[in-house]
Amino acid sequence: MHEAGIALSLIEAVQQRLVSMPGSRVAVIHVRVGELAGVSTDALDFAFECLSAPTALAGAKLVFDLVPLTLLCDACGKTSPVEDLVFRCGVCGSERTRVASGRELEVRTLELVEESEVAYARD
Amino acid sequence: MHEIDVKAGLLAPNDAVAAENRHLLAERGLYAVNVMSAPGSGKTSLLERVLPMLAERHRVGVIEGDIVGSADKERLDRFGGPVFQINTGAACHLDARMVHHVLHHLTEDGCEVAVIENVGNLVCPAEFDLGEDDAVMLLSVTEGHDKPKKYPLMFRRADLVIINKVDLLAHTDFSLPAAVAAVRDVHPGVAILSTSCRTGEGIEEVVAWLERRIASKRAAPLAAPAGQGR
Repeated sequence: MHEAGIALSLIEAVQQRLVSMPGSRVAVIHVRVGELAGVSTDALDFAFECLSAPTALAGAKLVFDLVPLTLLCDACGKTSPVEDLVFRCGVCGSERTRVASGRELEVRTLELVEESEVAYARD
Repeated sequence: MHEIDVKAGLLAPNDAVAAENRHLLAERGLYAVNVMSAPGSGKTSLLERVLPMLAERHRVGVIEGDIVGSADKERLDRFGGPVFQINTGAACHLDARMVHHVLHHLTEDGCEVAVIENVGNLVCPAEFDLGEDDAVMLLSVTEGHDKPKKYPLMFRRADLVIINKVDLLAHTDFSLPAAVAAVRDVHPGVAILSTSCRTGEGIEEVVAWLERRIASKRAAPLAAPAGQGR
């Protein structure tokens, strides 16, 4: 429900990174989204498309890298996936675990095209 | 075509302000609790019961978050301490920036306890750390015992889960054991209490839980960021 705010934060983060790189156009933005990030990728995609339209990022595509939910066990030290939303160690059953992955919500990388390449492709 | 690294967390702007809030709370010895639930679970009714009891021993301030209006603020004004209304406009949750200035007011007012009533919503508030010491969430009997597994993030985030409206248990198919088991699956070890804000059942236990947390904050002022490892 708050994907519009997250899309704005995404646009700002990418634009900040581009300040030092004039002449580059963003083709693809790779975003890592954890299974338990609380974000709908469809809603984020749609919000980004609308909100980026009047910016230099218009036309850039989001590619989502979905990160599975896993736990690191403080008792046995092993990592295991979370199944059926039961947050207990899948190896030893301990309740003393912490989320090892699955809460990610970050821009990882950008695929850039030089403006000269874009012009060339148009010809 | 070439690729460059960014590695920017998309909640980083909120998390940075939440960290500032956390430092302010630690420095000024203010304990803050963020109360969250779906709309109509009984947050305001719980606070009507709890605030006068906390106010016997502490200077308590309230931050009331609503999309529009001040009906809840008017209900809570009766307890006598300062109540600040935040209207989020369209936003479905409070964020760290919205509460930042009010926390300053509360510290200047000499408050020792800040009670933040978040916007009624079981989804969005879970993502936004306010810098609070504890998160308390309510699940009411009329919502159904299956909710912990439908909204896991909120239940992971909570330090205390309160099952409210237990006076209605006899009139619904809500299973208290099933609800407790679902909460424990999603968040093993979390504190669980049950209350009825109509009859007053369980209210003293909630106040006792808060008093223990206020006391432990005095012993160790800087709280860990909410939801870390959750």
